[in-house]
Amino acid sequence: MYGSASTHDIPASAATGLENEDPILLAEFEARIARGEKIEPRDWMPALYRKQLIRMIEQHAHSEIIGSLPEGTWITRAPGFRRKMAQMAKVQDEVGHAQLLYSAAETLGKTREQMLSDLINGKSKYSNVFNYPALTWADSNVISWLIDAGAIVNQMANAKGSYGPYCRALERICAEESFHLKYGHDAVVHLATGTPTQRRMIQEALNRWWPPIMTFFGPSDKMSVHTEILMRWKVKMASNDHCRQQFLDMYVPKIWELGLTVPDAKLRKNEDGVWEFTEPDWEDFKRVINGDGPCNAERLAVRRAAEENGAWVRRALLSPKAKYVKPLA
Amino acid sequence: MSLSSLDPRIARLALPDSPPPPPDKPELDQFETYEVFHQKKEGTAYAYVGPVHAPSLDVAFLFGKEQYSRRFACTGLWVTPTSAVQVTAYGDDAGSIYDTLPGGQIEPTEAPLSESAEEQAAYAAGEEDYDIFHLKKRGKAHAHVGKVRASSPAMALQQAKAVFGEQRPVVNVWVIRSADILRSDEDDRDIWSTTPEKKYREALAYKVQDKIERFKAENSENTPQA
Repeated sequence: MYGSASTHDIPASAATGLENEDPILLAEFEARIARGEKIEPRDWMPALYRKQLIRMIEQHAHSEIIGSLPEGTWITRAPGFRRKMAQMAKVQDEVGHAQLLYSAAETLGKTREQMLSDLINGKSKYSNVFNYPALTWADSNVISWLIDAGAIVNQMANAKGSYGPYCRALERICAEESFHLKYGHDAVVHLATGTPTQRRMIQEALNRWWPPIMTFFGPSDKMSVHTEILMRWKVKMASNDHCRQQFLDMYVPKIWELGLTVPDAKLRKNEDGVWEFTEPDWEDFKRVINGDGPCNAERLAVRRAAEENGAWVRRALLSPKAKYVKPLA
Repeated sequence: MSLSSLDPRIARLALPDSPPPPPDKPELDQFETYEVFHQKKEGTAYAYVGPVHAPSLDVAFLFGKEQYSRRFACTGLWVTPTSAVQVTAYGDDAGSIYDTLPGGQIEPTEAPLSESAEEQAAYAAGEEDYDIFHLKKRGKAHAHVGKVRASSPAMALQQAKAVFGEQRPVVNVWVIRSADILRSDEDDRDIWSTTPEKKYREALAYKVQDKIERFKAENSENTPQA
C-alpha cells in the first residue's frame, strides 16, 4: 500500500530554482536520466529534484504508517484465526514498507527523526483516504483490495522512476503487495458471494469508500512548468488522470462481476475507451486533507502516543557515543 | 468531548482532544544506521538489501532479519555499521569505476579461505581481510564479489582492483573490513526455516476464480437473461 500522488504536487507558482543550478552539472544529470540510468544518493542533483523526492517518498512512508491504522484496528475483530493472522501479516508489511521508505528518503538528507516529527506535528501530509473510518470488517476488506490496488497502480509507475534508493524500496514493496491485493480480493469475494446480509455489508462499505477512492490519485494535473520538469526527470511517472483511468479499467469490471454496484450513476466506459464519472468533490477533499476529516485527529493521536510511549525505550538504548551517518543507498 | 473512536488504542489511552504539539525529536532519537546484506539461496552471493536503524550491531541484526527476511526466502544475513563502509565514486552503467582509480603495481592476493602459518604472519604484520562489493547497475543492489587482504581500506581497494578489476560493468565499489561485519552463524541455519508454514501471507494461497465463476453461474440461473 499506499502511495498516492494526491498530495505530492508543489504549487505551480513556486519557483523552480533551475536558474541557480550549474548548467554543466544539470546537463550531465539530465543526460544520465535520458539514457535510462538511475540517480544514486552521492550524485549531483538539482535542489528541486531533491526537494520533490523527499516530499514524495516521505509522504509515501507516512501513508504506510497511518494507512496501517484502520486495518490494524480490525486484527482483533477479524472473523476467524486465519484472517487475524493474514490481517496481522499485512499490517506488519505496511509498517515495514514505511521503514524502507523513510530510509530511502533519508539518503536525500532529511533524517527519519525530522520526518516523524513533521508527521505528528501535522507539517507533512499522508494519503487523504486514511482520514476516513473503517466502520465494519467489510470496510477493512475494501481498503485491503481497492486502496491497495490504487497504490499498486501508483507504485508500479514510480518503480520506473529515476531515483535508485526509491526504486530498490519499491521493488521489494511491490512484491509484497501482490499478497495484499489477492488477500483483499478474496475477502471481498467471500462477502459478495455470501449471504444477503454479507452482500449488503460489502455493498455498503463500497458505497462509503467509493468517493475517497476516486480522489485517491488526486485532481487532474495542471500542466505547469513543474509537472513538465518532474516528468522529464522521471520523478512523476504518470499523470493523476492516467492512473485513475488505469485503476477504473482494471477494477470496475471486477466489482461488477460480483454483482456489486458502484455508487456513481455516470460511471461508464465510453466508445473511446475512456471512463466517464462524476467529478469528485475536490472542495471536500481539500477540507479533509487540511485537517477537517472524520479521523485526522485520531490518526495523529495514535501515532503521537506511540512516539511518546516508546521514548523511554529509545533513551534507554541510546549509546552516548553513537554518531549518525545517513544510510548509503 | 473525548474522541469517540473505533480504534481501541484511542479509547484505552483516553487521549485529549487537542494535545499540545510534541517537541521536535532530538537528532539521534531513532539510532544510527546499519547496512544489511542477505543471501537468497545457499551458495549465492550476498547482496545488499537496505539499511536499518538500531542502537547496536546485535540489535541491527535482529531488525535486519525482521525487515528483510520475514517475507522471502533467505539463508543468511550480514550486518555492518554504515560508517564502516568505504565507498568509491559512482561511475556510469557502462564501464568500470576501477578504471578511474590510480593503477597500482600490486601482486593480487585474494584472501585465502584457511589460515596457514604464512597468513598468520601477515595478520600479525597488521594485514586484515576486507569484503568487496560491486554495484553492476545503478538502481540495483551491491553484491559481494570476494575478499582481499590488506593493511588499510585504501590498500584493500587497490587489491580489489588487482583481483576483480577485470569485471565489467562496475558502477561502484564498497569496501568493508571483514571484522566489522556481523554474520549469521552456520549453526543457526534453522532460524531461516520459518516461512513454509505461513502460506496465508502468500498471494498463491488466495484462489478466488472458482468462487467467482460459481457465483456467476448461480446468478445467471436465478435471474433470467433479458
